[in-house]
Order: sequence, then C-alpha cells, then structure tokens
Amino acid sequence: MFSVKPTKPTFRSYLPPVQTDVKKTIESPPKKVEPKLLQGEIVVNEVNFVRKCLSADSSQEGLWGKLICTNFKVSFIPTDPPSEQKSHLSHLLLGLHDIPLTCLEQVVTVNDTKGKKKVLGSNQKLKFNPTELILYCKDLRIIRFCFVEAGPESAKKVCLAIAHYSHPADLPLLFGFEYQGRRYHDSKGQRVNDRGGLRTPIFDRPSDWDREIKRTGASEWRVCSINENYAISPSLPEHIVVPVSLADQDLKQNSIYFMNQRIPVWCWNHPNGSALVRMASIADPLQQRRIDQRFIPAITKSHPQRSEVIRSDLDKCLPNIQDLQSAFIKIRHICVIDSFEESEERWLSSIENTRWLEYVRAFLKHSAEMVYLLDGKNTSVILQEEEDRDLNCVVSSLVQLMLDPHYRSLVGFQSLVQKEWVMAGHRFLDRCNHLKKNDKDESPLFMLFLDCVWQVMNQYPAAFEFTETYLTVLSDSMWIPLFSTFLFNSPKQRAQYLMDFAKNKAIPQGEDQLVYFPPVWDWSQQYSTADQTLFNNPMFVGKGAACVQNGEVKTFRRTKKTYSATVRGTHASLRNGQKGGEDSLARRGSLLSELKPDFSLVKDESPSERFFRDWFSRPADQQSLLIPLLIPSHLALWKLYFLRWVPEACIFKGGPITAYHKLSQLVDEIEILQSHLRQYKGTRESGSTQLPGLSGPFSSQRRMYFKASSLQDPPSPPDFLTSSFPFTPSGNLCRRSTYGTPISKFLNGARIWLSTETLDNDPL
Amino acid sequence: STVWAPSAPPPGSPASTHCPGSRLACIKEPLYHPTMQIFLIQLINLFVCFIAQDVTYFCPFIGALSGTVLVTNYRLFFRCMDREPAFVLDLPLGVVSRVEKIGGASNRGDVSYGLVCKDMRNLRFAHKQMEDTLRKSIFEVLVKFAFPVSNGLQIYAFEYGQVFPENGWKVYDALSEYKRQGIPNESWRITKVNDHYEVCDTYPSTLAVPVNIPDEELKRVAAFRAKGRIPVLSWIHPESQATVTRCSQPMVGVNGKRSKEDEKYLQAIMDANAQSHKLFIFDARPSVNAAANKMKGGGYESEDAYQNAELVFLDIHNIHVMRESLRKLKDVVYPNIEDSHWLSNLESTHWLEHIKLILAGALRIADKVESGKTSVVVHCSDGWDRTGQLTSLAMLMLDGYYRTIRGFEVLLEKEWLSFGHRFQLRLGHGDKNHTDADRSPVFIQFIDCVWQLTRQFPAAFEFNEYFLVTILDHLYSCLFGTFLCNSEQQRFNVRTVSLWSYVNSQLEEFTNPMYVNYSNHVLFPVVSLRHLELWVGYYIRWNPRMRPQEPVHQRHKELLAKRAELQKRVDELQREVTNRSASSSSERTGSPTRSITPVQTFV
Repeated sequence: MFSVKPTKPTFRSYLPPVQTDVKKTIESPPKKVEPKLLQGEIVVNEVNFVRKCLSADSSQEGLWGKLICTNFKVSFIPTDPPSEQKSHLSHLLLGLHDIPLTCLEQVVTVNDTKGKKKVLGSNQKLKFNPTELILYCKDLRIIRFCFVEAGPESAKKVCLAIAHYSHPADLPLLFGFEYQGRRYHDSKGQRVNDRGGLRTPIFDRPSDWDREIKRTGASEWRVCSINENYAISPSLPEHIVVPVSLADQDLKQNSIYFMNQRIPVWCWNHPNGSALVRMASIADPLQQRRIDQRFIPAITKSHPQRSEVIRSDLDKCLPNIQDLQSAFIKIRHICVIDSFEESEERWLSSIENTRWLEYVRAFLKHSAEMVYLLDGKNTSVILQEEEDRDLNCVVSSLVQLMLDPHYRSLVGFQSLVQKEWVMAGHRFLDRCNHLKKNDKDESPLFMLFLDCVWQVMNQYPAAFEFTETYLTVLSDSMWIPLFSTFLFNSPKQRAQYLMDFAKNKAIPQGEDQLVYFPPVWDWSQQYSTADQTLFNNPMFVGKGAACVQNGEVKTFRRTKKTYSATVRGTHASLRNGQKGGEDSLARRGSLLSELKPDFSLVKDESPSERFFRDWFSRPADQQSLLIPLLIPSHLALWKLYFLRWVPEACIFKGGPITAYHKLSQLVDEIEILQSHLRQYKGTRESGSTQLPGLSGPFSSQRRMYFKASSLQDPPSPPDFLTSSFPFTPSGNLCRRSTYGTPISKFLNGARIWLSTETLDNDPL
Repeated sequence: STVWAPSAPPPGSPASTHCPGSRLACIKEPLYHPTMQIFLIQLINLFVCFIAQDVTYFCPFIGALSGTVLVTNYRLFFRCMDREPAFVLDLPLGVVSRVEKIGGASNRGDVSYGLVCKDMRNLRFAHKQMEDTLRKSIFEVLVKFAFPVSNGLQIYAFEYGQVFPENGWKVYDALSEYKRQGIPNESWRITKVNDHYEVCDTYPSTLAVPVNIPDEELKRVAAFRAKGRIPVLSWIHPESQATVTRCSQPMVGVNGKRSKEDEKYLQAIMDANAQSHKLFIFDARPSVNAAANKMKGGGYESEDAYQNAELVFLDIHNIHVMRESLRKLKDVVYPNIEDSHWLSNLESTHWLEHIKLILAGALRIADKVESGKTSVVVHCSDGWDRTGQLTSLAMLMLDGYYRTIRGFEVLLEKEWLSFGHRFQLRLGHGDKNHTDADRSPVFIQFIDCVWQLTRQFPAAFEFNEYFLVTILDHLYSCLFGTFLCNSEQQRFNVRTVSLWSYVNSQLEEFTNPMYVNYSNHVLFPVVSLRHLELWVGYYIRWNPRMRPQEPVHQRHKELLAKRAELQKRVDELQREVTNRSASSSSERTGSPTRSITPVQTFV
C-alpha cells in the first residue's frame, strides 16, 4: 500500500519515500520534532523551518516547525509548541495541526516574489519554488504555511508530495486500509468479539431489521433476503423489508423494471399503520402500470386501514445534487474564503444568493409534507427518486427524525444514518469525492442533512440527546478515511473491497467486518470518553421522562396509544376563520398602502397547512412528533459549522456554549445528587453508619462535560469558552489578506485563479 | 367557566401573543362583564366607553372573525365567540398610532376601519353601517380615547392608581448611583448647579463634573453646548478612572467659534484620568451630517481647538432614517414573511445595519475605556438620542451591575429618563399626529441592541427576553408613567405608577435562569451581521406560528426544580445517617462528621 513496499508498488510515487532535508544551523538543533505516526503510517516527505501562519496578515505571527507529509496526513510539528494551545477536543489520531489528506480540497502553492501561484493536482510539476502553501480543507479550514526560511527544494517536494498523495489512484490506497489492517493484527489480544462493542445497529443482518419492524409495530412487513450476495440489486442492502403480501419470486421478477433494481423498500412505520417506503424510478415507463398494480396494492394491504398510498417524486420538487454542490461552494466561499470585512457589507443577500438556506428549507418543507401525509392523513408514502440514493436519503431520514423520537437519541440517530444512508447505498465515495476523480459527482448531501437536523435542533433544543458539536464532529469524520462508514458507494462495494482487504491482510475468513474495519460509530477510536461527553445534550428530555403538559403529567412510552395522540383531532375550530369573499372591502383608501398586507386575505389553506397550524397551536411535546417552523426568518445559518474557524466571528466568553456550560453543570449537580441518593439508600439498607463519599465508578460515569463547580470556582464561564468551542479558530483559518502586495490581492480573487488553473470547485 | 383567562399564559405561548400587558391581571381579581362575557381587569378608574356587537375583525392569520368589541379608556377588547378557544384581541389604546376609515360603505353596507399600531401590527375591523345615525360608531369613540392628548383628555397612566408592594420610582437615586461608582472622588464632584433646571432644562438636577471646574464656569460651558447640555459623567472605570461622559454638540457654527471654557473643560475631563494623555470624542453622527450642522450653528470639536483630543465619527444615522427603516421592516415582517427573498428583503430595510453601527460605536467606546484606559466624550447633535444609545450600551458592556434587572432599571432611569430622551415626542403618546417628524424608534433600537447582546452572551444578563418585550409593550401602553414625559423636569411632581413597581413585584417572570454573575467581566460582542439577528420574538410575535421563544430557559427552570427537590431529599437522608452515626459513635468508623459538600447553587 501507498508505496511502503518498494518491491510491490501499488501506487507509484515519483518522489523518494522519505526525504529529509534539514538545513543545519549553527544554533543547537531544537528539541527533536517527530511526527506522531499511526500504525502503518510512514513519512513521505518533510521540510524544516516552516512557519505556520496564525493570522491573516503577512505579519510574522506564526509557529515555527516542521511540515511533514505522510501517507495519511499533512502534519505540522511546532519546534516550540506554545503551552497555552490547549485543545478542548483532542483527537486521538490527529494532532492539533494535522490534516488528513482526504480532507484536502485544494493544494495551492504560491511564489510571492515571482507573483506566481499554482493549484496542484496529482503528478504535477512545479516550475517555481513555493514561498507559501495554502491548504483548503473540506472541513472549511484554510491553513497557510510559509517557506521563506525553508530549503526551497524540500519545500517544493513536500508540496508536490502533499498534492500527489491527496489524489489516490484507487480506493484501497486510502490510508484506512493500511491502518485498519495493522490495527487488527496489533490489537488481536484485547478484542472482545461482539461487533466492537457497538450499540448502533448496522442493518447488515436480518435481525437488525426485525428489531426495527417490531419496534415500529410494522406487522404487515417482512424481512426479505432476495438480495443476498447482491443477487438482485447492486446498491440495495442484502436484507430489505417488503410487504408480507409480496412473494420473493414476485419481487425478483419485477425488480428489473426499476433503476438499479431498487424496488420499493420499507423504511419506517407510523403507529397508525402508515408506512414510509422508498424506491427508484421505473426504468421503462411502459411498465409503470404493471408496477403500480403490483406494488401499490401490496403496500395498501400492509396498512391496517388499507388506506391509500401517495407517491412523491423528489426529482420533480427538490434541488438536484449539482444545485446543492454549487450552493455549498458558494456559502463556503462567503463564510471562510472571502475577506471578513468585504463580505460583511452585503452579508444577508450574499447568504441568500448562495441558496443554501433555501435548499435546506426546501428539504425540511418537503419532509414536513410527508410527515403530514403519514401522521395527519394516515396514508403510506413512497419516496421516489431516479436512483433512490441521494434525495431519498435526506427526505426519508428527516421524516423519521420528525416523527420518531427514537431517532433523536444518539444511538437512534446513528442507526438512522446507517439505515437510510450507508445501507441504502448513498454514494459516499462519489459524493465526498475522496479520490478527487470526478468533481461532477461531488455533492454535500450528507452535510445538507446534518444542517437540516441542526435546524430542527435549533428550534427544539431539548428534543435531541446529542449536541451540535456531535453533528459537527460527525461531519468532520467524513474526511478521515479510517472508518468504513463514509468510504463506499454501496454495501456491495463495501463488501467487495473489505473481502479483498481481509484476504490481503490475512484476516481470517468469517471475521466480522465491523471488527476489522470499524464504522465511525465507535467514537472511542477518535475521542476519549471524557471528550465524548461533549456530545451529550444536558437539556435532553429522555425516554420515560415525565413532562408536564396542560397541567397533566405525561410519561412517554412509545405505544400506539400515546403515540396516536399526535394524530390531531378534527379541525372544526379552525373552519370558522375561513370566511372568504371579503375582498370587496379592499377598497382604495388613504391607508391602503400601509395596511396592504392585511387586505390580502388569508388564502385558502391546504389540508397540510391546516395540519401544521393546528400542530403549532399546541405546545410541542419533545418526545413526540416535531415539525420545524419553516418561516424563512426561522431558518438560520449554522454558525458553529460554518463560522467556527473564522477568528473575526469568534465571540469570547460568549455564544450558545455559555448556556450549554451552565446547563451541563446543573445536570451534573443533579446526577451527583441522584448518586448520593442511591448511596444513601444503600447505607440505610445496609444499616451502615459510614457516610458515602463521591468516589468509585460514579466519577467516570458522569455524562456532562462541564462538571458541577465547587465553591471555590468562580461561577462565570471559563475563559476558554468561545462561540467556536470546542474548536479553535486561531491558526486554522488564514486566508490571504486583501491589502499588502499586489500579488496577494490577485490571489484573493477566485475568478483570476480560474482563468489560469483549473479550479473546479471555485464558484464564480 | 373562564372564557378568557385574565392572566396571560407563559411567555411565548400562542395566546399571549395577542394580549401583551394582560399579565397585569394577576394583581387584581378580574371583574366579569356580562355583555362581553369576559373578565375585565379591574383597573382603577377604568371605565367602559363603548360596546359594539357584530363587529368583524380581519385577522391576517385566521381570516375574518365576527365578535364583540369593547372599548375602555385604556384598552380595546375584541372577542370572537364562535371559536374554541375563544379568540381574544386585547390592545392597550396607547399602541394605536393611527385610526382611519377605509373607503366608503361597501356593497354589503359595511364600514371598515384600519388601525396602524406602534408595535409592529395593523388591525382591521368592519361593522354594519348603523341605521340609527345618532349612534356613534365605535371608532369615533376609539379615536377619542386612543388620542387623549389631542382630545384634551388625560393619558390613562395618570388615572391608574394601582398600588404595588414596591415603589418603582425609588429604584433610581442619582446620588446613590454616583456613590456606587465612587463619585464624588478626588477628580469628580456632584454639582447642584442644575437643581432647578436652570442651566439645562433637559438634564437631571444632579450632575457629576470634574472637581476643578466651578459652577460658574459650567454655565459658560453650557452656553457653548447645544441646549445647554454640557459634558457630564455617565460612568467611571473603577480601576483606571477612565470615564464615559456625554453632552450635545458644540455650537461651533460656520465660523468655527471656539470656547475657552469648553476647551478647558474637556481638558479637565482628560486630566481626571491619570492613565491616559488623550481624550476621545465620539461623535455619533456621520461626518457629513456633523458638518451640515454647522449651518445651524452646531458642529463638532476641531482637533486644533481641543489639544490631545481625537474626534471619531460613528456614522449613525438620524431619527428620520431610523423611523423609515423600521417602517420598511414592518412591511417585510407583518403580517407574513414572503417565502422567497427574506434575507435580501431584510437587508433592504437596513435595520440590522443600523443596529450594527450603534453596537459598533458602543463597542469602540467600551474598548477605549477598558483596553485603552482612555476617557471618552460622546455626543450627537442634541445628545438625547444616539448619545443615550451609545453611553448606555457601552455601560452595559463595561459594568456587570447594569446587566442585573435592577441595574438595568437604573441604567434606563439614568441614561434615558433623567438625561432627557424625549419619550413623549419620539413616541407621540396619545397624540393623533402620526406623521410627526419627531417620532422615531430610538429607544426600540436600543432595546434591540440589548437583546443582541443577550443573544451573544446568554448567561451574562439577569433578565430574560420577556423583560425586554415587556419594557417595549409598556413603552406604548401608557399604563405606567415611566416612559411618558420628555425630561426629568417634566416628570417631576407627576403622579403615575412606575413600570418598575410592576416589574419588581414579580421578578421571577423576568429572570434569566441561566444568569451567572460575570462580575467585572467586560462584554465584547462581535459586531457583525454574522451574529446580529432579527429579533423575531418581538417583531414577528404576532404571527401565530411563533413558537415559545425560550425553550432553553424553560428547560433550565425544570432542571433547577429537579435539583432543589433532590437536594432536599439528600439533605433529609444525610441528617438521618448523621443522627444514626451519632447514636453509635462508639463504633468510630472513619470520620463520622464528614458531610457532603453541598453542590454549588448559582442561580
């Protein structure tokens, strides 16, 4: 792999594998700066006396150190690391200054004196010695290194190596394949053989589906294994859920009429019996009727009330993947690449022009419409999309997130992603463009989904077990090629690659894939238990939590009975407001212009609008149906994600985290008290006179990141809290300043870049 | 059965959006009105002026509603019986800016009226043309009582005699506030030169000025400052002694007039702060406007005349621009927000841009004082609009005291009421002249800025959003005397109830459960459109789709209650165990007196 073994090169590099070009100075050499390498990670190239820029201007503010390119990451090791650089979320596999190669969006080299710059791709030549290297990252960081003091040749080599190694020729060349192979063998002794201790169902075996069927009470649906060994469809999982009334033979015969043979498969059941189903388009329009006669009645039959089925064609009403990609590029440009002051001027309209929020709203809105059909109208819904692998993933998971509180728990959410994205064959490899091969296929659908989730979370902060930090960290994990979750286009592709991988790495047959190539859901791979507490939302109103509503204490159990409370009653009370025909009163008058809005009488409400209005007129129950408000004024920019690296946008000792801090301390106090109570009860029962103290296993079980403050601690939030917490903008965003040398001005304009080099992803 | 709950539901719940201020009902038993089938709040000296049935209210969200209207000398009630729950509209007449008949009688013989309100909504009613022409239309009654000042009547606040446990007028005492700041000290003194409002009729009677300027000289300085509003102390830094002082523009005029006394006076302000040999003069206006004022005899300090002073223009626009901006904002948000172009529509109102400039100005002032340890002088033209916004916001950033409920009340009393923000003129209480060019949402803007700060620092303020909304509701309601007059002099001897009497008698409602005392921490907000938001909880609250605005606070309160309950149970058990261990102390196991440190309770 990755040119480690010169005898059998799978990836040929024109660069020598290890290049050390340390310019010796008269001064005593600084203390040894060595990269922290993972199992199987090797240094490809490195250069010393590099300055990592910490601020936008070309001032000397920066960190000196060594820049290293490995087969996994770009690493910068400061010679003299400042002690105060304490990171509050420390990644176990990546240092503060590390960037995985998969996370690189663009590698740009600059020669300031010659006024040159070049965007580097794979196997390219560089005709000038770079004075600067700018790395544009997929997690929205922009990192800048300055080579003024470094050996020009070594600097150039490192730049070329970074560019080269960030464009792997083939999927198995991604570092995860090397790393997980080594890790598997190295950690063999300590392994417990239970899917790596994962609590998140993976939906790769019938039992996971069975449990989901039982949980949702979908008794008219069954697990079907016709796609075992991917015999029918190359992109569906091996086990799918179908109406009990359809026989395997039937399904097999009809599958050929669907794109990718993606027949209608079950996603979720409402307690009222309505089902959410997804499918691909019918390849041959002439077969439409035949399919309608086969599948629709079967789905109807699976509904206890035999209620009708509504099909929603997402391709017709939602933006496509290119629209989304272009919106994302634009919003990223405005948020991190443009100069802060310049984009400030017309910030709101610039954000609007990217259309990102408009698209977020469109997906939420369409999902809410589906919720109305399932919940308010009691009908089953089929989501249809040409390939059933992109838009369907977003809408199907959002619908379930709104309807089913289970998916708002951490494990539930992860199982949702697993079920509706990973196993449903969302093309993560292509959409993430990990191999940087085909930019046309790149699209931030998963990111869009996370943003939509954030919008709901922003409106219902107590409804989710996890935090926006979790969502952000999850989005960052897409760019770390060590987990199986985001690396493949389909379960089939995953199975194939992992089979070859197992063979190559001498992993015994029959070993669970999750053990030798774990998914991202095992968070202990990336973060310590203590850091993982940042994922816990102190406000979460969990299962079984009593909630006072309309003076009545309710306990939520997911039974049909309580659940059907979300199926709202008649809307008779609302009809009174629906008198039409008052237009005659809208006469021209002196007040008319000012009062105009009032004259546009309430337009005829659609049944879904009525359903929403009715729902919004009642207090929201966090453990039941949730519908986000979709007035444009209520959709916000996800600041933690988009602005976390922007130093100018960082509020010191402020931001939502200060509320989080306070709440999590409070919850920690509550948990301490609960633990005391348990201990006291124990003492009372045992008749002991020993007073219990706070020790033992409890301290390690504390769920909150911020612990209850002691009397000595000041109550005010700690100084390190900023609106970017737990991320640090300093040094992670160094766009070139506009003022200064003419070349820096030139560099700032993406338009000019485009004319000289191919900058596929730069917006116009 | 109670058809209309007089005590409003918790903030944000849908019903409360239609009846701001109705919470007052908690204080007295409601009075049942049989004709209306509603409980009237028993306000003292409240009388029913008119009742009309079969009136149609055109709700922009629900549609036409038929019901009964009742007008009192304080408010308008509309109640629609056909709905369950009944629809109630409750409007203090003070919010009405304009009442007009719309068009002639329609083909159905209806008369239609429009009400433009100061609180971001418009209402429209219609009723059948009265056959009996002798009977007055309810709207004639409405016009009379909505604009008492224009009709020779008294504003209701003068009749409202509710007694509260606390007298809010006592919240602010100038001397105690200066004392809290450490004034008088070796550099600053309290002067009574304006005791009878002779030097300046729009200033308070108590002023803090540099020690070495005698009263006689103050009068000469007053002659050089517009409306006699001399530079006086607003706030002093407890450590560096850098000060925030406020005044009006110097009367420089086209000829560049100078005043030795004024120059000496500013030098004295600078000298009072040993930490810095510079003085910053923040002129709130755009430089063009400041220059244009020279034509009217005003202007700004030339750096030639004022040695060591640096003049900075903050580019904040005048009251007319702000009024226009809010008008546009209302167009964009009421009654409905268009599905498309929301952000560019919002941008075109420039409202957030103005908010940004004001906050940016205040931030610069706070930064100069805190980080630069330099004293600042703030003025605009007259020093009662933009100046007040800037000084009070800077003080809010600099001094944690003003971020408590009482401290904020003191801040308003001091920087706004006593320093003569012309509330009566800017809001036009009870005055039908809605086109009056003196009207402007200066104070609303200030409260919006405060809200922006609370958004960026959710744990730094003792008060919650509901507190700010309540202040704005009573800015117009004319129930309390707080925001009625133009100056301290006018407010003197006027018998009304203070808003703070009401607020302080139910502090729980207005408290932010997440408040932590930041003590001396200075707040430096990020003044960028990336963080400034439209205050939907105020401007869009009439939209019934609005959700509870403070779910986080709500949850926090629940958690606090849970903690209290658990603490109680733990305490009980601890006592039990301690007693038991005391009775069997002979066993001597460990340290029986060890108790569990109670967990810290900061609320």
